[in-house]
Amino acid sequence: MTPPPDAQAGAVVLPLPPLSAEDTARSHDRRRVHRARRGGRRWYLLWLLVGPGILVMLGENDGPSMISYATTGATYGFGFFLPFIAVTFAMAVVCQEMSMRVGAVTHRGYGQLVLERFGRVWGWFAAGDLLITNLVTLVAEFVAIRVGLAYFHLGPIIAAALGMVLVVFTLSGGRYWRWERIVLGLAIFNGLFLLAAILTKPHWSSVGHSLATFSPFPGGSFNTLLLLVASTIGATVTPWMVFFQQSASADKGLTPRDMRHGRLDTVLGGVLAAVFGIGALIAGAALHGHGGANVGGLAGAGFPAALARVSGGAVGTVFALGLIEAGAVAVLTISASTGYAVGECVGVTASFNNSPRRATLFYAANVAVALIAAAVILIPGAPLLSISLNANVLATVLLPVTLVFMILLASDRKLMGKWANNVATNRLAIAIVAFVSVCGAAYGIDSFLRTSHLI
Amino acid sequence: MNATTDRHDDELVHFLERDQLTADKARPLARAHVSRGATAALWALRVFVLVVGAMVIYTFVVQLGG
Repeated sequence: MTPPPDAQAGAVVLPLPPLSAEDTARSHDRRRVHRARRGGRRWYLLWLLVGPGILVMLGENDGPSMISYATTGATYGFGFFLPFIAVTFAMAVVCQEMSMRVGAVTHRGYGQLVLERFGRVWGWFAAGDLLITNLVTLVAEFVAIRVGLAYFHLGPIIAAALGMVLVVFTLSGGRYWRWERIVLGLAIFNGLFLLAAILTKPHWSSVGHSLATFSPFPGGSFNTLLLLVASTIGATVTPWMVFFQQSASADKGLTPRDMRHGRLDTVLGGVLAAVFGIGALIAGAALHGHGGANVGGLAGAGFPAALARVSGGAVGTVFALGLIEAGAVAVLTISASTGYAVGECVGVTASFNNSPRRATLFYAANVAVALIAAAVILIPGAPLLSISLNANVLATVLLPVTLVFMILLASDRKLMGKWANNVATNRLAIAIVAFVSVCGAAYGIDSFLRTSHLI
Repeated sequence: MNATTDRHDDELVHFLERDQLTADKARPLARAHVSRGATAALWALRVFVLVVGAMVIYTFVVQLGG
């Protein structure tokens, strides 16, 4: 028999409870990790341990985010927002590293921990925020799939059906590993936005200049600038990401021994997402000077066709395929985060390592939230444009509370022991929360005052 | 059959940390001690977020009308 991997000499061994089906599935995955580590197979170990970080970052490079980046590029060209995307992903890495760390140390999801450590009121507030933002965002994801498919003359029914088939197919295995690998396989195609950028043949010296100098700074109205700043932040750090990565890290079975790989996974995801996000902005910038500021309408419906006109059919096709991928991956990850949150807050099992019969609520919430969003895009005359535009802003506004609890959990020495946040991490995390709060609030208040004709 | 399953379980269980087992995860953690000041700050943030959230939703509804 293989000796216990983490057994310490002289430790008192307590009798272990019988394994549940979920434990058995997870321990099979952990056995592979243990053997790879013991055999010194570094690349295989990395392959086994990456997943939640890359998924959460590429999942957040979703339909509304990519349309938002492309709109920014079409409106302003290269400039401030190019490096700002990289800055916001650096912020996301700080937040998501905490999320991974808490999941790996406590083996519990964010919703469960907030509920247990801070009480039901805060737990249900967190889950409520998540449900609202996830539902709105999921509608926007189905809109992105619809926009991408429209380029190939396929209608909304195909978009809704494609999203739902993917959700049901990925859920059908009863294993976290299977779900994660399928979604990772899809998420790699987020790189289509980088390909679209390369195909537009941009002036790379201008790209480099913007990245190095954060210039030129965009002009235009203060409100538009705030909208773009808030939606760019909302495109990179959102409540579902915190829920998802912590729960997925626990579901995958990460432990403190895997911390280095968990961090690598998160940073790798952040770098890939930033590069692909910048790719979307560069592709959109091809429309700058070609009426680009006006093609963001209809939730970005005009982008693939406009790019095809200006830069060639290949760019339009690649961008449309990218939108379908971005929407599809986000549908899978966001509906998963909803399943985790609902299961954890109700106090029932919430794991891909359980069968639908054993984790009924987890699977039902996962499918139901996607189904509701899919149904919305089929409603004739539904305000899809407004929903898509406001999805990221709403996420930004509701994010500070989620992040504050994340910091409290990650700093909790009773919970985290030696893995608790140090002073420098806490200062950085608090600065990020303050920045996000100010940007989200500034946009919300400014828009409200303008809409109410008070300024 | 049961003996085989038990031995299989006995092998696999060692690849999980004790607090990774579902039986252990189902055991609730103790409530964190949160000072009055911190609780007040959390409620202030909660109210602030709700107010700004309501403003965004109001703007969204007005956009629908427009």
